[in-house]
This record gives sequence, C-alpha cells and structure tokens, in this order.
Amino acid sequence: MAPLQAIEWEDCLLEPVRNPQAERYVRRTLRMVPHAARFFLDSPWIVRAVVRFDLSQVRLAYVRPDLAELIALVVSQENACRYCYAATRSVLKILGLPEERIRRLEDDMLLADLGRPEKAALEFARRVSRATPLASGLDAEPLLEAGYGVDAIKEITFLAALNVYYNRIATLPALPTAPMEELAEHWYMKMLRPLAARFLRARRKPGRPERLSEEHRTGPFAEFVLALDGLPAAAPLRLLIDDALSSPVLSRRAKALVFAVVGRGLACPVSEREAYRLLQEEGLRPEQVDTILANLSSAELDPVERVIVPFARETIWYRPVQVQRRAREIRERLSREQFIELIGVAALANAICRLSAAIDLARNSPPTTVQ
Amino acid sequence: MSTVVLLAALAVSLGLVVLLWQRQRSETRRLRERLDAATLELQHVQTTFSRFAPQEVVDRVIARGAAIEAEKREVTVLFADLVDFTRMSERLDPDVLVRILNEYFARITRVISDHRGHVAKFLGDGLMALFGAVERNPWQANDAVHAALGMRDMLEHYNRELRRQELPELRVGIGIHCGVAVAGVIGTHELMEFTVIGSPVNLASRVERLTRVHGVDILVTAAVRAKLDPRFMLRELSPVDAPGVSEPVVTFAVEGFELAPAVRVMSHGS
Repeated sequence: MAPLQAIEWEDCLLEPVRNPQAERYVRRTLRMVPHAARFFLDSPWIVRAVVRFDLSQVRLAYVRPDLAELIALVVSQENACRYCYAATRSVLKILGLPEERIRRLEDDMLLADLGRPEKAALEFARRVSRATPLASGLDAEPLLEAGYGVDAIKEITFLAALNVYYNRIATLPALPTAPMEELAEHWYMKMLRPLAARFLRARRKPGRPERLSEEHRTGPFAEFVLALDGLPAAAPLRLLIDDALSSPVLSRRAKALVFAVVGRGLACPVSEREAYRLLQEEGLRPEQVDTILANLSSAELDPVERVIVPFARETIWYRPVQVQRRAREIRERLSREQFIELIGVAALANAICRLSAAIDLARNSPPTTVQ
Repeated sequence: MSTVVLLAALAVSLGLVVLLWQRQRSETRRLRERLDAATLELQHVQTTFSRFAPQEVVDRVIARGAAIEAEKREVTVLFADLVDFTRMSERLDPDVLVRILNEYFARITRVISDHRGHVAKFLGDGLMALFGAVERNPWQANDAVHAALGMRDMLEHYNRELRRQELPELRVGIGIHCGVAVAGVIGTHELMEFTVIGSPVNLASRVERLTRVHGVDILVTAAVRAKLDPRFMLRELSPVDAPGVSEPVVTFAVEGFELAPAVRVMSHGS
C-alpha cells in the first residue's frame, strides 16, 4: 500500500463547473458544496449521489462514524486514491485524531492501537476493496468472531463498496489533490478546528434499521440492493442505480456493457448475469455479448461503445497514473458529459460487485426483524 | 521584598517551563524526522521488493510472512530470449554489453507491465513474464500477445538507437502459452520468489525455442490462439517436435493486429 506522497497522480482531466441550481441543491442539503462535487455539477445523477451518500445523509445503523472514517482511510489507501486518502486524512485530523495515530494506522493496521473488532472490520474492508478474488461470506467469519452481527458486517461491506465508488470517481479524472492535502494545514483551519470538528460531528446522526419499501425491492441489480435490506443505505443504492441507468447521456446498452465488463473482470456472476439480462433487453443476443466480452470489441459496437468497453476494463485494477493516462486518451473521443457519465457508471459497476459478500451473508442468514 | 522574590521565582519557573517545552518540542521533531527517515527506508525496501514480485504479493508477504497459500490458476506465460546474444557478448566490451542489456530489460519490463503482466524472473538474456498470475484476468491471452507486439515495436525503436551508436542490433524470440499452473511464493526463507510452476511454463519455454526453428519472432500455441481476439493476424506453422513434449507442437506466428474484426488464420506456411 502506497503512502500518500508516493502515489503518482496526473493533472486533472476535468474543469470544475458552475451550476447555480445544482449548487443550491447540494448546499441546501449538505450546508456546503464538497470540493469533488464541483467537477460533476453538470451530471445530475452524480450530484444526487454525492448528496445521498454523504455521511450526513446516509445514516449508519450499526457502524460508528469514527470507524466509517477509518474504513474510508484504509480503502482509499488500498486503492491508492490520493484524493480520497488526503481528504479522509484531513477529516481525521480535523476531528482530532493525532498525526501519529494516523501514521501508525497507515504503516501497519495490525499494530495500530485499535481494538480487535476494529482491526477485524478494517481488514475485512480492505479485503472487500481488494477483490482478488471478491470477498465472500467466509471472509466475514473473523468479524462474527469479533462480535459483529450480520447486518453490521453488511454495513461494513457497504462502506467499503461506497469508498471503492468514491475512489474511482476521484481517481479516473485525476481530481486535484492539493486542496485536500492542505485542508487541515491552513492556519485558519487550525484555529477553527474545534468548530469544524463540531460541525462535522453534528452532521453525522446515527440511523436506524430500515426495511426496503416494495417499490425499492425490484429493478436492475436488485440482488445487491436486497442484500442490504435492513440498512438505511439500501434505498439510496436503489435510487443511485436507477438514476445512473436512466440518465440519457450514454445509452442504457453502453452502461450495461460497462457493468458486464466489470462483472466479468471481477468474476462477479450476479453482476454479469444482470448485465447480460439488461443487454438482452437492449437487443443483444447472449452470443453477441460473449464475443464483446471475450475481446472487448466487436463490429456490433457503436463508436462510443468502442471507446467505453475497453476502458471499463481499465477501471478494475490499476495504478492511478496508468488509468489516468488511459482516461486522458479517451477524454478527447467523448464529450465532457459522456466522459463524466462513464466515470460514474464504471465507479458504480466496480462498487456493486464489492457487495457480493453482502449477498453471501444475506443468503446464509435469516432477515433481521426491523421494528 | 518578598513580592519581588516571588515574582523572580515565578519568572524563573516560567522560563524553565518554556525551556522544557521547547526541548520537548525539538525532541518530538527530531523523533518525527527519524520516523520519517525510517518510513522512507521501509518504502524503499518495499519498492525494491516490488521489482521482484507484484505489489499484491509483496503486501501479502509483509502481512503474513512467506506462508501465503499457493493456488492453481489460469495463467498465460511469456518467455522472451535474445537470439544470438551469446555470440554478441563475446564481441562486446562487458560494460557496453551490460548497458545494452539493462536498457533492453528496462524497456521490455515497462511494455509488459503496461499490458498487465509482470516479469517473474530474468534468465540470463531472457525473461519469463506472467499474465493473470496475481489478479484474475479473463483477457490475459490478448494482453500477453499485445505485450509481445509491443516488445516487437519497442525493439525496433531500440535497434534504431543502437545502430546510431554503431552497436549491434538485438533480435528476440517470444513464446506464449496458457494453462492452469500453481502460483505461489517458492524458495527458502533467505531467497524466495513469486512464480508459477507446471506444464504451461515448460511448454511456453519450448515454444520460445521454436522461434529459431521457424525463423519468426513471436509464436503462440493453439491454446492461446483459441482465446485471442480475431483481429490478431496469425499464421499457422507446421507441427514440430519439441524436447519433453510427447506430441508435435502446433504453433502460430503472430503477424500483427488489425483493427477490422476478421478471423485471419492462414494455412501452413502461407
């Protein structure tokens, strides 16, 4: 795992944009416009995702906010996302975690002064993120032994997957890292740290277990959503998937192809099967999809899909600088809107495959009764 | 009078506290600098390690020691060897020879890593590279052959530079085969390496030797061909016996890669 300063990072591939309406929406809900959101303000569904999945909005029913931050740190470090890594480090500092403790955690999580349950949770989150191969229910056994319930483990899985999503959103367009790296070091931030910490803590209200409503129990990739049933995060995930697939910038077929490629690359049968189903709905026969997935090309693909399909594969395992160079190559061949949507869909496709462990857990445990 | 003494004592105490605080701060700074230096050193060791094994393996070895589980997995193995290098080495100054070889290895390693492979070992003037050995990679055969074509291009550029320096050109033979092999960390506690063992490795090595028999630079087996994108232009060659292989080995010379999606397998020797 790379330390922050050692992560090579390209120049940003996107310019921040102004969109007063979107900014008002974000500010109204989050009381600020996060730095990363400024680069995606022209993509309504990504903006809505930023809002819905902000830790102040997606309530956590089982995982404490401080553990959620540590999961973000470990997963960002694992994915070598310099942007998210720096952002999480800064938040931890603002919240009052001493630099020495952060360093100990980065250097060797096993030696950090954490309790056994926290270490088990972080190791599991790392395993979910790494996906070589995808984590399964078996990988969750140390957490069960450490005292976590099944729903808590599912929430940890969700948090790891959510950070996989954010890491790709920030890494693929190489969002500029300096503002995040310097955030906690500004003199005014040092002065206002107690206030900022209070502001951050006040935004994080604990959630309660929630059952999915009937309308949220069906739809594309429903198995992943149902696996999170009982968590407050399940319904926002349903909305995110529906939002992404219904956005008109890239065709539904192009997006399903991204899911198929990522599902194949990560050996996620649920995601791949669902992507095949969507592609059949879009008029592609299974044997045509087989050919596309075998070679990441086909005469069946339209010019945009020819760019998107091979790139989707690049988003699975990468060194940041390598995938950012590939992203730069395709940036010229897509419009800004298409490029942004591709980033969002690829990030989502990678994230939902990480929820396989939650599917495993849901299959092997009875649903929790929610009052 | 007593007030003056009290104030003086207070001032001395305050001075002492400030002095102690400053000493403490400088001591903390010094310790932090030492810690940073140690961390850098550790990173350097880790980077050095990662030249010999994929980062994923380095992480696992650091976390769990050498006792990481070996596993069977589908891998594509690429052997590359310089043709007539021994003869060349007899004519060149050793320093020049090492410089040429190191530059060649640096460039070839970059090409392999750009195509998601990793160099598992250097074997004199040759090397073995693996695709799909660490991370699951359903496109590993395509990656390996794209890497081979990249190596061909790279060598063309490098030979131009060598010609300019009036140095002899390099020629390479590349053999690629795929199959299920055992991947893991193998060796003693003092000297270990991440590698794969099994028949795909042996056959890939034999296929590389066959490049001399057929007079071509890149050869793949039928198993690789079956997984390749049809845009690769292949030429089927006559089966030939290879040491240690019971059946004559059918191989395909890789001619190039075309953007139009068409199957391009020509008959023997055409």
